[in-house]
Amino acid sequence: MTTMIDINDVWKIYDVGGEKIEALRSVNLQIENGSFISIVGHSGSGKTTLLSILGGLTKPSRGSVKIDGTDIWNLNDRQLSAMRNRKIGFIFQFSSLIPTLRAIDNVALPVIYANGGGKTDRKATYEYAAELLSTLGLGHKLQSFPSELSGGQQRRVSIARAFINRPAIIVADEPTGDLDAQSESEVMEFFSRINEQDKTTFLLVTHNLALARMTDKVHTMKDGMINQNNGGSPA
Amino acid sequence: MNISQTSLALQNLARRTFRTYSLLLAIAIVSGAIFSTSTLMWGVNNSLSKGLSKFGADLLVVPKGSMISMKSALLTGEPSLFYMEGGIMEKIAAIKGVKSVSPQLFLTSVDGNCCVMGNAFIIGFNPKTDFTVLPWLEDKKERPFQMDDVIVGAANSYNVGDTVFFYGQNLTVYGKLGRTGVGLYDNAIFMNIEKAYSMAEASHTLPGVAQLKLVRGHVSAVLVQTEVGSKLPFISFTISKDPDVKVITAGNIITSVRQNLVTLFGSTLVLSFVLILANALMISAIFSTIVNERKRELGILRAIGASKMSIFKLIVSEAAMLTSMGGALGVFLGIVIMRVYQRTIIFNLKELNMPYLWPAPFAVIMLASLAIVAAVVVGVAGAFYPALQGSRLQPYDAIRAGE
Repeated sequence: MTTMIDINDVWKIYDVGGEKIEALRSVNLQIENGSFISIVGHSGSGKTTLLSILGGLTKPSRGSVKIDGTDIWNLNDRQLSAMRNRKIGFIFQFSSLIPTLRAIDNVALPVIYANGGGKTDRKATYEYAAELLSTLGLGHKLQSFPSELSGGQQRRVSIARAFINRPAIIVADEPTGDLDAQSESEVMEFFSRINEQDKTTFLLVTHNLALARMTDKVHTMKDGMINQNNGGSPA
Repeated sequence: MNISQTSLALQNLARRTFRTYSLLLAIAIVSGAIFSTSTLMWGVNNSLSKGLSKFGADLLVVPKGSMISMKSALLTGEPSLFYMEGGIMEKIAAIKGVKSVSPQLFLTSVDGNCCVMGNAFIIGFNPKTDFTVLPWLEDKKERPFQMDDVIVGAANSYNVGDTVFFYGQNLTVYGKLGRTGVGLYDNAIFMNIEKAYSMAEASHTLPGVAQLKLVRGHVSAVLVQTEVGSKLPFISFTISKDPDVKVITAGNIITSVRQNLVTLFGSTLVLSFVLILANALMISAIFSTIVNERKRELGILRAIGASKMSIFKLIVSEAAMLTSMGGALGVFLGIVIMRVYQRTIIFNLKELNMPYLWPAPFAVIMLASLAIVAAVVVGVAGAFYPALQGSRLQPYDAIRAGE
């Protein structure tokens, strides 16, 4: 297996009112292509910061992040944006839908930034968006606005959006936070299926240990540092 | 509707309708004011240049003390009566560089006279030497101009072939001039100067006819055409040596009208530019608020692949859409208001000695486009800095904004 994500000596230091806060301290992590891993840790342990750095959303203070062999923090803004658009699907821990767009438009939204805004097959995109929403149990809510959806339904729309460009990596921050037990189980089954079918790499950040145990490998973060574990349960 | 960067911008505008409509109206008022003012100025200038090019004379010689009356007569077509000895023509014709001279004699019809509209401005001209009337006939009878014929300006209600009645004389409308916007040409009725003298003489003997007092040989103005390459200031100076006359050039007329134009529209234009600046600042402030309100959304757009440039374009295109719609609304309102009040506008301009001719459709389209483009430029300029700020947001910081 090839390495999909290679995090090497990554540091993130925030300057808060003159005080240096080390959110990440020399994090090293290699994630193989097609892995399904999770990171657990207490609030403030640095797991969300790590996720945003490897997702190309926050620049590290030091160190490198390679995705499929490319050091993403050496890319210019256009290249990095294209990388986020095509290779990475984000699922945030809060509602991240555009309120003026219907559910299906929210799911299809990333396509307008694909190919540098160039020509894309909109029909195929919308068909796939509808398919994703149906798979996630929202086939009857395609035309609903976010304000017409429950928190759990909004979460499932944002999950569908993360998959629209068939990314190589899914980074998910508390992806089932607003879901009931049954929906959570359905979503995790969906993740597993995509992981097996498309060899998509999954990286989940969660407080939920039961959820973490469903992944192939669990890493624990504490005080900005990461511990690697071999099994499906945290140390 | 499939989602696109444009539809996203439009939906953003529809999000806060009161704010969007208020901004739209503010922009419409400014662009409407700019469009209306520039259209009126264009109309006056257009009328001047068209009318004075038709005028065809390089110099106009009038009796001393009648220069202001002559300008007024020329620009508004209001009758003005003043006379001088016709002998001046020979002196002028003898000056080196003068190509031709032609007289004009001003008279009016008399109110209450049988079958005649009161106070029509009648101008006698010499068809043999004329170079300012006959060349601009737009419609005429298929025969040469005769002694009992008149030519009417475009603003007259008479048509070719009609009969008009002045001081006991039946006269036939031989032709009609094209519209110029210059009052003298649009409103006056032109007749053979010899007919004017004989009509005046006959009015003293015909029963029931008002007497027209004219002295044969007197003229009101002498139109002077110079040879190509001749020195106009020299000719003007030579004519001005005669203490009883004054020389008017086309430049004199344009200058005096433009002075009025600047007085009338200058403050409006200054106010419009102040409003433009205020609009740009208002747009800037409102779009700063918009960027602040939508920080999280902008962060999400960045996360799903929008580049800095895409975010910048999104915000700027919202401003451009809003201001182009505002600009178009302003132009529409400007046209409606100018059309509804066109009589009042033209009357007031004439009161200020300003001739007016509505610009041609092409010119109106051009001015409308310029007003809309100006509105868009203001919008883009106003939104530029907020858009730059929005595009520079760190994606993750923006996403976490408001958490």
